Amino acid sequence: MMPFAGIDIGSTMTKVVIADEQEKILASHIGPTGAEHRHLALKVMDDTLRSLAHSRAAGVGGVVSSSTYGKSTSASPPPDRLGITPKAEGNDIVKEITLENLDFIVATGYGRINVPFADKQITEITCHARGIRSLFPSARIIIDIGGQDSKGIKLDADGKVANFVMNDKCAAGTGRFLEVISETLGINLTDMGDLALSADGIVQISNTCTVFAEHEVTSRLAEGAGVAEIVAGLHEAIASRVVNMTRHLGIEKDVVVTGGGAKNKGLIRAIAGKVGFDVLTPPEPFITGALGAALVGRDFYNRGVRPAREREKKEVTFFT
Amino acid sequence: MNDEKKYYAGLDIGSVSIKAAIVGDQGLIASGLIPSGGHYKDAAKKVMDHALAQAGLSFDGLSGLIVTGLGAESSPFPARQVSDISCQARGCSILFPSARTIIDIGGQFTKAARITPEGRIADFLMSEKCATGSGRFLQVIARILSVPLDEIGPLSLQAEKPVEFSTNCAVFAESETISRIAEGAKPADILAGVHRAMAAKVSMLVKRLKLTPDVVLTGGGGEDRGLALAIGDALKTEILVPDFPRLSAAFGAACLAREEQTTKSGGQNARPRNGFKAAL
Repeated sequence: MMPFAGIDIGSTMTKVVIADEQEKILASHIGPTGAEHRHLALKVMDDTLRSLAHSRAAGVGGVVSSSTYGKSTSASPPPDRLGITPKAEGNDIVKEITLENLDFIVATGYGRINVPFADKQITEITCHARGIRSLFPSARIIIDIGGQDSKGIKLDADGKVANFVMNDKCAAGTGRFLEVISETLGINLTDMGDLALSADGIVQISNTCTVFAEHEVTSRLAEGAGVAEIVAGLHEAIASRVVNMTRHLGIEKDVVVTGGGAKNKGLIRAIAGKVGFDVLTPPEPFITGALGAALVGRDFYNRGVRPAREREKKEVTFFT
Repeated sequence: MNDEKKYYAGLDIGSVSIKAAIVGDQGLIASGLIPSGGHYKDAAKKVMDHALAQAGLSFDGLSGLIVTGLGAESSPFPARQVSDISCQARGCSILFPSARTIIDIGGQFTKAARITPEGRIADFLMSEKCATGSGRFLQVIARILSVPLDEIGPLSLQAEKPVEFSTNCAVFAESETISRIAEGAKPADILAGVHRAMAAKVSMLVKRLKLTPDVVLTGGGGEDRGLALAIGDALKTEILVPDFPRLSAAFGAACLAREEQTTKSGGQNARPRNGFKAAL
């Protein structure tokens, strides 16, 4: 049996996971979506397969060869990017995993329609739920904080999606809120969470609107408020917005926070404060949607669903 | 009988600009407008001095003053404060006796008020939660396009195919604007699209108040002809705009100061008409 792939094209990051029948992650890839992302679906998939082949060749099969921002970590990729080359690994002849011989490929995320080689397109709600269910069987609420939207998902006891709420209309309560204001403050987005944790208090941000909050931050700074305390206030503002949205679903244990927002410890603390108990985060919050996509593909395959047509390898452009 | 002429002033301390207006018995005789900057007090003093000089008066020559606007607390002159929407209503109903609805689009807030034939507030709504309905939305997009604020209106009128935004959030619209520019959209079409998005938001506010014509548009938004037309389209009604839309609250404040005095002294004053046109 061959593995399954999930590709999650988010507004900010593109994620790929290749997982096997046992729901183990064989390889993953995280890269910025960028302006060119519409051409990149094939490339990120290739990169992931290449780093998987590389780690298998090096005899470290099963190790997550997660590439970080930007490029794949593989040092010297095989020249034949999609060719099938049999490789010896111990006594077994291991077939190289290629785009063509993966058992199932599922695309998700807001760019999922731009993945021509996917066998199915599935919404990120379903995929996140599936990925989280695999990592945390006890999860009942998922809060996904993405770069451009945020979602609350309620799971039933079987881990199926019972209900969800979503905000993609307003930048407040999404990663964009912090992104915009971190620019104003001249602070790296990735440093914002730790800065919030170092605060001695909280400067309340009264505006919901990102544009107005940006202005409010400048005024507070002019009044002499501390940067860390302001940043803590911004995290409080996002946390209360996403938690209040999720309250409509009825919050119960366990709560898992995922998406890029879950990388931010300050935000996790603020969310835990609002829900009233500790929340869980995946080891790699970026890839839960892609993992879920791969596992949804696995579930399809196990129910006898097969790819309906030949996988197209062409790169699509959005504006044609 | 006292035939000495009397003068009254209104001072409107807003977040973006500070406005002063001086009225006599017949209407507006002087005015001034400067950016608020960081020091409201200094700026307010400056604009008042400017208006007084234009009128050939000293501060002591004023018989009454009313201060209004977001920064009314920062007034350098001790005076009674009246809410800006009350001043706006007074000013607009003098300029346009048929006005029943006022839309004030400022730098930060949008306000809508239904007014009585006497120029008093019957109902009032304000949008302060979201930048989309406010002038800030336009400022954000104009900055990306490098279009000065006062050129937005004329430029937008050249639009051929207004861009339709998929979002109502100013932050998301900002990134959408960048993608649209990359796709080749013209600045005029983008600005016209912003006008439509704003008009949709503003008209929701007005409809919640129950739309009652005539509708007057004031504030910085009133200086943007493209926006006025877009709001007119959204509300399916004609929009009246004062000659100097940013001054109408200061003008209304000055008129309220005059009415206060004449009521106190029991005198009757003929209601001046078209103050702005008379003065300028």
